Amino acid sequence: MPHTVEKDFIYIFETKTTQSKLRVPITLPINISFREFVARLIRAHNLPCFIEEDLEKKLAEFVNKETCTLHDENADEAILTVKNGSISEKDLLQNWLSVYNNELKLYAKPYELSKDEKFGEVYHTLIHSPALETLLNLEHEYSLGVEQVIRKRDQDLRHLLEKQRHEMDDAVQNVGVVYKDNDINKLAQKQFETTQMIEDKWRSELGILHEQQKAEYREWVHRVHEDSKGNATLPSYVQRLRNAASGLPEAEEDERQAPTRLEESFTIHLGAQMKTTHNLRLLCADILELCKHKPHTVGGVVIPQPQRLQTAMSLYSNNLCGMVMLVDNRLNSYTGIKQRFANLCEHSTDFHFPPLNQQFEYVEQQLPQAAQIRAICKIQAGEDCDAGDALSLHSSSSSNSGEEKEKGGEKKLHGGDFFLTKHSNLSEVHVVFHLVSDDNIRTSDITSRHPVILSIRNIIKLCFRYDIHTITLPLLLTHEMTEEMTIPWCMKRAELMFKCVKGFMIEMATYSSQESRTIQFLVPRGLSEEMFYQISNMIPSIFRLSNPLVVKSS
Amino acid sequence: MPVLGTAQFGVRTFYAASHPHDKCGANGLPVTPNSVKILGRFQCLTSLSHHRLCQYLDISKTKHECMIIVSEHHPQCLKEKLKSEGTFSEEQIVHTGFQILEGLVHLHDNNVTHRNLGLENVLLDQEGNVKLSEHGLYYMTDYGADVSFPIGLPRYMPPEVLCSGPVRVDDDSGKCIQPLSGPKADVWTFGILLLELILGQEMWSDLGINEKLQKILQFVKSDMSPFDILCQNNATAQKLQALSLEMRDVIRQCLIVSSSKRVKSGDLYQHPLFKAERAKAVPPKKDFTMCTTELRCENLELPTYEETIANEFSDDHLSQRNMQEVYYLWRLAGGDLESVLKKAGMSKTRPPVNLLPCFGILDGDVFGQDRDYAELLDNTVIKLNQEQLRHRLRDIPPRAYYPRLEDEAKQLDGQQLPTSPSCGELTTSATLPLIIRERDVEYQFHRIILYDRLLIAYPFKRAHIWREARVDIPPLVRANVWAALLEVEGDVQGAYDAIDKETPTATDRQIEVDIPRCHQYHELLSSPTAHGKFKRVLKAWVLSNFGHYVYWQGLDSLCAPFLALNFNNEAMAFACLSAFIPKYLHKFFLKDNSPVIQEYLAVFSHLIAFHDPELSNHLDGIGFIPDLYAIPWFLTMYAHVFPMHKIMHLWDTLLLGNSSLPLCIGVAILQQLRDRLLSFGFNECILLFSDMPEIDIERCVHDSIKIFCSTPKSATYRQHARAAKSRNVEERPNVSYYSRDYNEMPRTELSMEPIPMDELKGEKCPRISAEDLIELGELAGAGFSRSPTKKRQGSKPMIFIVDVRSQEDYRRGTIQGSINIPFQTAFSPEGELVPGPAVSTLNQKRSQVIVVLGNRGRSASNFANELVRLGYSRVCVLHKGIDVFRTTGLIIVPPADI
Repeated sequence: MPHTVEKDFIYIFETKTTQSKLRVPITLPINISFREFVARLIRAHNLPCFIEEDLEKKLAEFVNKETCTLHDENADEAILTVKNGSISEKDLLQNWLSVYNNELKLYAKPYELSKDEKFGEVYHTLIHSPALETLLNLEHEYSLGVEQVIRKRDQDLRHLLEKQRHEMDDAVQNVGVVYKDNDINKLAQKQFETTQMIEDKWRSELGILHEQQKAEYREWVHRVHEDSKGNATLPSYVQRLRNAASGLPEAEEDERQAPTRLEESFTIHLGAQMKTTHNLRLLCADILELCKHKPHTVGGVVIPQPQRLQTAMSLYSNNLCGMVMLVDNRLNSYTGIKQRFANLCEHSTDFHFPPLNQQFEYVEQQLPQAAQIRAICKIQAGEDCDAGDALSLHSSSSSNSGEEKEKGGEKKLHGGDFFLTKHSNLSEVHVVFHLVSDDNIRTSDITSRHPVILSIRNIIKLCFRYDIHTITLPLLLTHEMTEEMTIPWCMKRAELMFKCVKGFMIEMATYSSQESRTIQFLVPRGLSEEMFYQISNMIPSIFRLSNPLVVKSS
Repeated sequence: MPVLGTAQFGVRTFYAASHPHDKCGANGLPVTPNSVKILGRFQCLTSLSHHRLCQYLDISKTKHECMIIVSEHHPQCLKEKLKSEGTFSEEQIVHTGFQILEGLVHLHDNNVTHRNLGLENVLLDQEGNVKLSEHGLYYMTDYGADVSFPIGLPRYMPPEVLCSGPVRVDDDSGKCIQPLSGPKADVWTFGILLLELILGQEMWSDLGINEKLQKILQFVKSDMSPFDILCQNNATAQKLQALSLEMRDVIRQCLIVSSSKRVKSGDLYQHPLFKAERAKAVPPKKDFTMCTTELRCENLELPTYEETIANEFSDDHLSQRNMQEVYYLWRLAGGDLESVLKKAGMSKTRPPVNLLPCFGILDGDVFGQDRDYAELLDNTVIKLNQEQLRHRLRDIPPRAYYPRLEDEAKQLDGQQLPTSPSCGELTTSATLPLIIRERDVEYQFHRIILYDRLLIAYPFKRAHIWREARVDIPPLVRANVWAALLEVEGDVQGAYDAIDKETPTATDRQIEVDIPRCHQYHELLSSPTAHGKFKRVLKAWVLSNFGHYVYWQGLDSLCAPFLALNFNNEAMAFACLSAFIPKYLHKFFLKDNSPVIQEYLAVFSHLIAFHDPELSNHLDGIGFIPDLYAIPWFLTMYAHVFPMHKIMHLWDTLLLGNSSLPLCIGVAILQQLRDRLLSFGFNECILLFSDMPEIDIERCVHDSIKIFCSTPKSATYRQHARAAKSRNVEERPNVSYYSRDYNEMPRTELSMEPIPMDELKGEKCPRISAEDLIELGELAGAGFSRSPTKKRQGSKPMIFIVDVRSQEDYRRGTIQGSINIPFQTAFSPEGELVPGPAVSTLNQKRSQVIVVLGNRGRSASNFANELVRLGYSRVCVLHKGIDVFRTTGLIIVPPADI
C-alpha cells in the first residue's frame, strides 16, 4: 500500500490561435503549496502568465481529487484484506487489544509498586528527613555486626589452614614410614572437604545474618515511616531510632583514616556553539577504594564516612553514581578482582538490592535472549557482506559463531559485553558495570574500534539514559600496573581514552538536556606521580577547559 | 493568532517512542529522536488558527522523550454536557455538529487529519461554541509513527483503520507502513459522534475494547449499511426513526464502510441539513500578516456598537491580547510547565535505579530493563492557572494596553536617545541588563504592546521601530522587528513561491552535507522539518542569485537565525536572508571572494592595531593573523561561532549598525580574550579559537559600540563594500549616526578611495580621509558636518595631528594644530622616539586619535607603523597626504616657534 502515487496531470489552455496541452506527472500528495507548484510549472514549461490563476485552480482540483482517491484506494484495500480473510480477525483484534492495554493508562492495569519499590519510596522520604542521621547510624551498626562475623570467619579459616598445614607437613615428613602416597592424597582431599565445609558454614551464616538484618531493618524503616506519618511529633520515632542506634562501638584500632589519594579536577566545556559544562576528575586509586567503606574514628568512636551519606541520599534520585570494572568472561566471583569485589559487597548488608550472586543469576537469565539477538545481528551482518563484496573476514567470523553455538556458547559472555549490578552498601557507587575484557587489552595497539572502547560508549549512553551523572572509568583500561605499561604505553592509552570519551560525550549530549556530568578517570595505584602529572597535563590539550576567572589585583 | 477571550491554557504530556539503540539513517548519521521530529512537525500547527479549533501554543521536550504540549483549553467538554443534559434536541445536534464540521473542514483544507475526534475532545467555550482539541496529535506524530500508543479511541475507529491494524513502523525510514488516514476517516468518526449525541450516551459504553472492535468488524463484514445494522437494535432504532430525513441521511452517508463511497467533509458541509447553520456562520477574522499584497482593508469591519461597549467597559483588557502573547507573559510571570506537571502528579516517574537493565552486549542492545509506567499515554489535561499573571499585571492602567504613538514627530528632529510613552515610565528597568529585562513581565508587557502596534503600522512606522530597537527587542516580536529593520517589504510570499526550490541542482549535495552540522544543538533546527526548510530557503537564495553568487559554506549558519525565528514562514526567512547578505556581506559569496575577504581582513587588522597596538604587535609577532581565525566570523557574521541565543542578542545590535560594525565586534571579542591571547603562543591561540570560548555577549555588544564610536568612519572604508543605492537612501530615516554606511554617502575628492591590496596589507594603521580629518579636527568650524558624528560634550577636537615631513616642508605650510616630528630624525637606532618637545607633546595626547600627516610617499605610513610598534594606540594615516588639502585653503603657516 503505497503512501504516494504518480498521476498525470493534464491541462489544456487556449491562446488566440492554438490549443496547448500540458501533461506532467505529479507525485501525490504534493508537499508544497499549489501556488509554488504552479510557479514551477510555469517556469519549467514556459507557460504564459495569464493562465496562472486558472492553472492553480485546476491543479488544486486535480490534486485534491487524486489524493482523496489515493486514500480511498488504500483504505478499501485494507478493508478488503479483512473481508476476504487474508488477515486473521483474531490476530488483528489481539494486536489492537495489546496496544490499547499496554500503551494507554485509560486501559492499562494500574501500576503496582513492588515490595522493594515501596521500601525504596519510604526510604527515600526518610533519608531526606531528620531521621537521616539515625538511619545511617543504624545501618552502620548493622555493618559492624557483619564485620564482626567476617572477622570471626577469617580467624576460623586461618586457624584451620594453620592446622591443616601442620598435619600435612607432618604427613609428608613421614611418607613411606607411617603413610603411603595414597594416604597423603586422601588427607589432602579430606582437608579440602573440611575447608569447603567450614567455608560453606560461614557463608550460610553470613547469608542468614544478611537476610535477618535486611528484614529487621526494612520493618524498622516502615514502622518509623508510619509513625512519622501518623503524628507530627518528630521525637517519638527519632527517639526510637536513636535508642536503637545508640552507643556506637569503641574503635578497636587506633585510627582508621582514609588514605589520601592523588587527584585533580577540571571543569570543561563541550560543544562548538552551545556549550555544556562538565567535570572531569583524574584520580589515582585502587578501584575498590571507591567501594570500600573506611569508617572514620572520631574521639574514639567509629562513625560512618561522609560519602556514605551522599550515596544513601541519592540512591533513589536522578543523580546516580556508576563505575566501570573490567572483568573476565566468566559470570562468577571466584578469582581476582571479582572475588575482592564480592568480599567487599559482603562486608555489610545490602538493604535494598539482592545479594551479588542473585543478581548474577538474574543476568544469566538474560543471556539466551541476548544470544538470540546477537545471532540475528551476525546474520544481518553476514547478509550485508554477501550482498556487497563478500569480505572473507566477515564470513569467517560468522562461521565462528556457528562453532560457538555448538559448544553451547549461548551463555557465554563476549568481549565488550557488560553486566550491571546495583548496590546500596558501597561507598561511592550505586551501579557497577562489569565490562568483559580479555588479555589483548594489554597490547599497545588498540584502537577506538576495540570492543572495550565501543562498550564504554554503550555504557556512557546508558548513563545518559538512566541519569547516572557520575561515572568512573579505568583510564588505562587495567586495574593494576604491569610490566608492559611503559610511559609511552600509558600516554598513548590515556590519550586514546580521553579522545574517545570526549567524542562519546559530545555524541550523547547532542539530543539530551544540558545537564552537566562528572567523569572520573581512574589510574591504578602504583602509577608514578610524575606519570600522573603528565597525564593530567594532557587534559587541557584535549578538552576545552572553561574560561579561567582571572582575578586582577588592581 | 486569536485573542485570549475566556480561554484557558491546558497542558498535556505524552512520550515519544524511543528508538532502539544506535540506529543510523540513510545518510549515516544517527536517527533523529522521535521527540525532535515531533517538535519540528508541531510548529506549523501553531499557525493553524480557526475559531473552531483550540489554538496550539507551545511544545517542549523534557528528559527521556517526554513531550509537553500547551494549547488553548476550555473547562467544559461535550462529554460532560451530554452527561448532564441527557439528550440534545435535533436542533442542538445540528448546531453542534455543524460547528464540529467547520473545524474539520478547516483541518482538511490544511491537509491535517484529526483522527482523534471524540466527545472528550470537543470542548465548549463559555458561549457553548465548539472548540476541537487534540486535533494535531495525529499530524505531529507523523501519522502515529513517532509514538507507541494508538491515536483515537476504539469506539470511534474507522473500519479502514481497524483493518490495517496498529501502526507498524518501517525500520529504515521510520515511517508508518500502513496507509495513512485521510480526511474521510474523520467523517466516519463524525458520524459516530452524531450518533452519540442522538442517543444521549456513549456508543457501546458497556462493552470492552474487544467487543467494541468486534462491533466495527461486524460492519465491515456485513453488506448492509452500518446505519441499518444499528437500526436493528430496538432501543437505538426508536431514536433513529424519530430523526428528520436529512439527519438520517447525514449519518448514513458518514457511516459507509467503503472509504471511496463515504462522503467528503467538504460535501457534508454543503448538506441541506446544515443550510440554516451555514447562513448564520461568520467567516473567521483574518490575522495580521506583515508584508503582504493583500488589501488589509478589503473586508474591514469596524467593531459594532455592542463590541465597542463590551470592550470599553470591560476590565479585562488582557483577554483582548492574543493568546501567544498572554502565554509568553504567563511564562515570564513565573509559570513553569514542569512544576505544574509535578504538582499535578503527572511527571511522577520511577527512580532510574529501578529501571536499569542488567546486561548489555557489544552491539548496544540491553536486557532486563523495566518499563516506566509513566510513559503510557495519559489523556489528562492540566489547566494552567492565569491568576499569577493577572496578579502581576493588576496595577497596569488600562491606558497602557493602548499606547499612543503619534507625538513622535518632534522627536524625529532632535537626535537624542529615543524615548517613548511606554518606556518613559520604565526608564529604570531600561537600564538593567538585557537578560533581566527579558525576564521582567511588566517591562516585556509594555514593550510587546508597543511593538505590536508599531508593527501593524509598518512600513509607515519604520523610523519609530528603528528607534525602539535601539533600546531592545522583545524575543516574542523579534522575527518581525528584524524584518522591519532589514526593510523587508512587498509580496514576500509571492516572490518566494515563484522560485523553484524542488528541482535538483548542483549545490544540493553540499547543502545537504552542511545542514546536519548547522546549529544542531538547537532542538527545533535539528528536526527533519527544519532540515527541509533549511534546504528550501538556501536553494531559494542560491537560485535567486544565480550567476552572481554561489553557495559558500557558512550560508547555512547565516540562514539559521532567520529560520529559527520565522520557522512557520519560510518566505520571510528567505526575505530577511536576502536583505541581510547585501547589507553586511556584499560580494562575500562571489565565486572568487578572496579579494573581498582579504580586504576585509586587512581592514580588521588595521582596526586591531588602531585600538589595541599591544595585542596587535603580539599577534603579529607570533604570526597569528586574522586569516587563521576570523574568516568564519565575518563570513557568517558570527552565526557560526556563537550559540543561537547569543546570536540573537548580537544581531539585535548588528542590524542597527552599518556594514563596518561587524569589524568592531571582532575587535571587541579579541579584547575580551586579551589577557589569554597575550600570554599564548601560536599553537595555543589556534587551539583557543578552534572552537570559540565563552564570550560575554552583552559586554561584547557594548564594547563594539564603543569601539565603533571611537573609530573614524573612513578608517573602515572598504572598496568592496556595497555602493550607494540610488533608491531608498533618502527615504530611510537618518535616526542613528552609525546606521549609515560610509559608502552610501556622497563622494568628493576628499573622501576615501580604493587602495591596492598590497599597500593595504603592508600598512599597520588605517587611513583617515581628509573629510573625516576636517570634521573630527573641526578644522572648518563646528558647523561643517556631513556625517552626523556624535560629538563629545566638551567639544574638544579628538584629533591630534603629527606632521612627519621634513622641517622645511612643515615651515612652508601645514594643518592647524599639528606638530612636526620629521620621520628621518624621529627614531633612534634602537627604534625609540628621539625625545624632544614635540615628542613629549605627543605623549601627552596619547588618548587622542593621532593622525600622521606626510607626503604622498610611504614615510607617513612607516612612521605610523613605528608608532604602533611602540604601543601608541589610535594611530592613523592621512590618505593621500597633505596634498589633498591644497585646494581647501586649510593649510596654514605654523607659528614660528613651538
